[in-house]
Amino acid sequence: MDLAKQALMLLAVDPSLGGVVIPAAVGAGKSTLARAFADILPEGTPFVELPLNVTEDRLIGGVDLEATLVRGERVVQHGVLSKAHEGVLYVDSLSLLDSSAVSHVMDAMSRGEVLVEREGLSEVHPSKFMLVGTYDPSDGEVRMGLLDRVGLIVPFTTQNDYRARRQILQRNMAVKDAEGHEDTRDELNMVKGLLDAARELLPQVAMTKEQMQGIVQSALSLGVEGNRVDIFAIRAALASAALNQRTDVDEDDLKLALKLVLVPRATRMPEREEEVQDEMPPEDEMPPEEPETEDEEAPADTPDADAEEEQEETPDMIEELMMDAVETELPDNIMNISLASKKKSKSGSRGEALNNRRGRFVRSQEGEMRSGKVALIPTLISAAPWQESRKRERAKKGHKLNTALIINKEDVKIKKFRDKSGTLFIFIVDASGSMALNRMRQAKGAVSHLLQNAYVHRDQVALISFRGKQAQLLLPPSQSVDRAKRELDVLPTGGGTPLASAMYLAWETAKQARTKGTSQFMFVFITDGRGNIGLQSGMNPEAPKATKEEIEQEITGLAASVSADGIASIVVDTQMNYLSRGEAPKLAEKLGGRYFYLPNAKAEQIAEAAMS
Amino acid sequence: MTQTASAAKKTASAKAKAGAAAKASAGPKKARTKKKQGQAFPFTAIVGQEEMKLSLILNIIDPRIGGVLVMGHRGTGKSTTVRALAEVLPSIERVKDDVYNRTVSQFIEMEKTGKDGKALTAADMTIEDIQVPVVDLPLGATEDRVCGTIDIEQALTSGVKAFEPGLLAQANRGFLYIDEVNLLDDHLVDVLLDVAASGRNVVEREGISIRHPARFVLVGSGNPEEGELRPQLLDRFGLHARIITITDVESRVDIVKRRREYDDDPEAYVKKWDKEQKKLQARILKAKDLLPAITMSDDVLTDIARLCMQLGIDGHRGELTITRTAHAFAAFNGDKEVTMEHVKEIAGLALRHRLRKDPLETLDPGEKIERELAKVLGEEVDA
Repeated sequence: MDLAKQALMLLAVDPSLGGVVIPAAVGAGKSTLARAFADILPEGTPFVELPLNVTEDRLIGGVDLEATLVRGERVVQHGVLSKAHEGVLYVDSLSLLDSSAVSHVMDAMSRGEVLVEREGLSEVHPSKFMLVGTYDPSDGEVRMGLLDRVGLIVPFTTQNDYRARRQILQRNMAVKDAEGHEDTRDELNMVKGLLDAARELLPQVAMTKEQMQGIVQSALSLGVEGNRVDIFAIRAALASAALNQRTDVDEDDLKLALKLVLVPRATRMPEREEEVQDEMPPEDEMPPEEPETEDEEAPADTPDADAEEEQEETPDMIEELMMDAVETELPDNIMNISLASKKKSKSGSRGEALNNRRGRFVRSQEGEMRSGKVALIPTLISAAPWQESRKRERAKKGHKLNTALIINKEDVKIKKFRDKSGTLFIFIVDASGSMALNRMRQAKGAVSHLLQNAYVHRDQVALISFRGKQAQLLLPPSQSVDRAKRELDVLPTGGGTPLASAMYLAWETAKQARTKGTSQFMFVFITDGRGNIGLQSGMNPEAPKATKEEIEQEITGLAASVSADGIASIVVDTQMNYLSRGEAPKLAEKLGGRYFYLPNAKAEQIAEAAMS
Repeated sequence: MTQTASAAKKTASAKAKAGAAAKASAGPKKARTKKKQGQAFPFTAIVGQEEMKLSLILNIIDPRIGGVLVMGHRGTGKSTTVRALAEVLPSIERVKDDVYNRTVSQFIEMEKTGKDGKALTAADMTIEDIQVPVVDLPLGATEDRVCGTIDIEQALTSGVKAFEPGLLAQANRGFLYIDEVNLLDDHLVDVLLDVAASGRNVVEREGISIRHPARFVLVGSGNPEEGELRPQLLDRFGLHARIITITDVESRVDIVKRRREYDDDPEAYVKKWDKEQKKLQARILKAKDLLPAITMSDDVLTDIARLCMQLGIDGHRGELTITRTAHAFAAFNGDKEVTMEHVKEIAGLALRHRLRKDPLETLDPGEKIERELAKVLGEEVDA
C-alpha cells in the first residue's frame, strides 16, 4: 500500500485532478520521486521545476528587457507558470514558497491561464498544469488555499516511512538507471501502457448516484470546507476505477478517494449516523430501482454481479463503509493527518527596509536589469549624453541605425522601493503585584533580547504595561529600541492585574498601525495570565466590580478577536511553579499562540521563538 | 475553475516548446487586446449562493451601489460566479475604439478638439455598442499596468513619449474584479482607494501627465482566513456578500453533476442554459429601465435612518447604499415603490461590513442587523 505512488498514478490518468502534494522528511529523495513521475508521463510532457526564490516576473512572465533593447521591439518572456502548461509544475519545499508566489500559483490553477499585466504588457498565457509539490512538515504547513486547488494530498503518517516508499516507487515506476536495463525499461513501458489504457477508458467510467451522495456525505461528516473537493473526490474514484480497467466504481476506488482527497482536509472527526441523517433528505426519495443517472451513459459491458450489489447500497452505507476503511487502515486519529486541522503556515518572509520589488518607489540606482524594475527616465537620461558617440561608432562598424536611441546595459537604472512590511512587536508586560521582583528582572532580560533582535530586523516595537486598574501605552510603535528599554527599566510594579485592558489596548494599537501600513504583528505577553480586573473598571471608576466569570469571558473574547485578526502571540509565563493554576498556558491556547515558561526558558530561546 | 479534462496530452510538446522560447509579440497595440476567454460557466446554472448572485445583479441594475465584496470559504464558486457575470451584462454605447469607453459627451468634454485642431462635435464620431466590460486585476499586476504608463516600446524605439492606458482605463463604466482582494499589495490598494473615491485616474509620472475617467463597480473576493481587508478598502465596497459551503447533499450532488457536464462539453452546456441566461438578462434590463421611476416614501427613509443610527454606523454611506440597493431590489422585483420588505431583504448586504467592531460582541453582524431591524419595524407597528 503506497498512497504516494497511487496518487501520482491517478494524476497521470486524470490531470484535471490538479496535482499531488506529498509531505516527506528531509533527504528522502523527493526530487527523485517527482522525476520518476515525469518518466511515466507521455513523451514530451513539460516538467518545470519552480525554484523557491522565484521572482514575480520569472513566475508570471513579462518583458524581456535585454532582448527588447537589443532588438528594438517588445520581446515577451514567458514565465514558469506558462512553461508548465500541459505538463508538471514541480515545487520542492512547497511550504517554504513565499506567499505571493503561492498566490500566483493558486491564481493560475483556478484560471488555467496566467494574466500578464506588467510593464506595459497585457497578455494571457495558457497555464494548465499538474502541481506536484513535496514538503517537509517540520518546515510549516502549506497554505490551505493552495491545497484546495490540488486534488490529491498524501496523508503524512509516521509509519509510512518515506525511504521505503521511495524504493517501492522506484521499483514500481521503473526509474531508468544509468545503464538503461532491459527489464526496467520494460517495466516502465508496462506502466505507461497501463496508464494509456486507463486514460482511454476514463470517459466511460461511471458512478452511481448513491456513490456520489456517499462521497458528498462523507465530505460533510468530515467538515471539509468548500464544494470543490467533491469533484476532486469523484474524479479520483473514477480514475482509480479506470486504472483497474473497470468501468464502474467499486469500494476500493471510493476508499482511495476518501483517503487522498477528503481525509487530509478533515476539520472534524465524523459523527456517526444521527447527525448526518439530519442533513439528509428522507431516504425513500431516492428511487431504489434504476439508480443510474440520466446524463451518464451506462457502461455497455457492466462486467460482474459485484457492481449490481453495489448499486443497491444507500449513500449512508457507502459512507459508513468508507469511514470504516479509513479508521482501520489509517493510523491514530484522523485529525493527526488532516492538514486542515493544523496550524496555519508561517507568515511571509520578513520585510526589508529597502528593496527592489515592491512598496513605495524611493530612488533609482544602477543595477542588473533582472534584479528589479527599470526606472525609465533615469535610464534614458544616463544614455542621452552618449548618443552621438555611439551612433558614430555603430556607423563605423557598418551597423544600420534603425533606432533613435542607443541604450547599453550599463545605462540601466533600477528602482528601489521602501517597504513598510516589518513586524510590529507589541510587548505587553505585567507589572502587577504578583510579579515578584526577580521575575520582573528575568522578564526584562527576555524583553531586552527581543528588542535587540527587533532592532536588527528593523521591526517596530511598542510597549504596554498593566497594573492597577488599567493598561498603559508606555511606548507607541516606533523603531526606538532604546526608548523601550529605558521605559522598561523604570517600570514600577504593584496592584491588580488588568489583563483584559492590556489586550484591548494592544489590539487597538495594532489596528492603528495597520492603517499606517504595517501588516504583521506579534504580541508578546509577559504575565502569569491571572487577570483580575475587568475592562469596565479601568474606563469607569464607578463601574461595579467584574466577577471572575466576566473577566474570564472578556479575556476569552479578546483573545479570539486577536487571533482571528491574524495576530501572532507568545505568552511568557512568569508564574512560580507551585502556585500555577495553568492560567498562562490557557491564555496562550486562547490566543492560538506559543507558550513559554520563563524560569526554564532562556532569554535567547524566547527571542528566537518570537523571531522565527 | 477546474481544469478541463485533457487526459491525453498529445499536443503538449509542440505548444510548450513554442511557448518556452521568448517570442516577440507581433503587431501594433490594438492587436494585443485580449481575446475572449473560453465559454464561462453559465451564471444561471450556479447552484445556491443567492446572496452573492443578488448582490452582483443589483450592481448591474445600479452601478452606483458601489460594488460587492464576496468573502467566504474556499471552493464555493466565488470566482466562477464573478467570471460568469460577463455573460448576463447588458451593453453600453461608447465612442468607437475608445480605450476609456467614453460616451460621446465625455469624449468631447475631455478631448475638446480632434486631430485637425477643430472643435469636436457629436457628428464627428462613430458610436459602437460594447458589452459592459469586466476587467480582471490579477494580484501580480504592476502599478504601471493598473494606472497606465509611458509606452516603453515607443520610448525606446522612436523616443516618443506616449501614454499607454492601463486596466483602470479598460474598466471605466464596467466592472473591476480582484480575486483574493485581501492579498492585494498595499500600494495597489492605495491606488484603488484614490481612484474609487474620485472616479478619475491621474497619472503624473515619468514626465507625462494624464487624467481620465475611471468609474467602475469594484468586485472583490477572498477568503477571510488568508488575511484581513484594510478598513478603508472594506468601506469602499457597497455590499458585502458572505458565502459558505453548501451543506445540503442534494445540492452538492447537483453542483458536481453540473460541473462535470460543463467540463465534458462547455459549449453544449452553455447552449443548454442559453434560455435562462437570456431571461435573466431581460429581467435585469427591465429593472434598469424601471429604476428611475421607483419611489420611496419618507417613512421608509426615516426607518432606514433610524436603523443606521441604532446600529451606530458612522457616516452616511450606509444609508445611501441601503437606499440605492433597496431601489434596485424593488426594480428587480418589478415593484414601483420601495417598502420595508425590500429593505429587510438587503439590509444585511449593505450594512454588515459597516458595523463598528466590538471585541466583546458575540452576536453575528447579520443577526444584530436583523434584531435592530425588527425593533425599527416593531416600533412602527406600535405607533
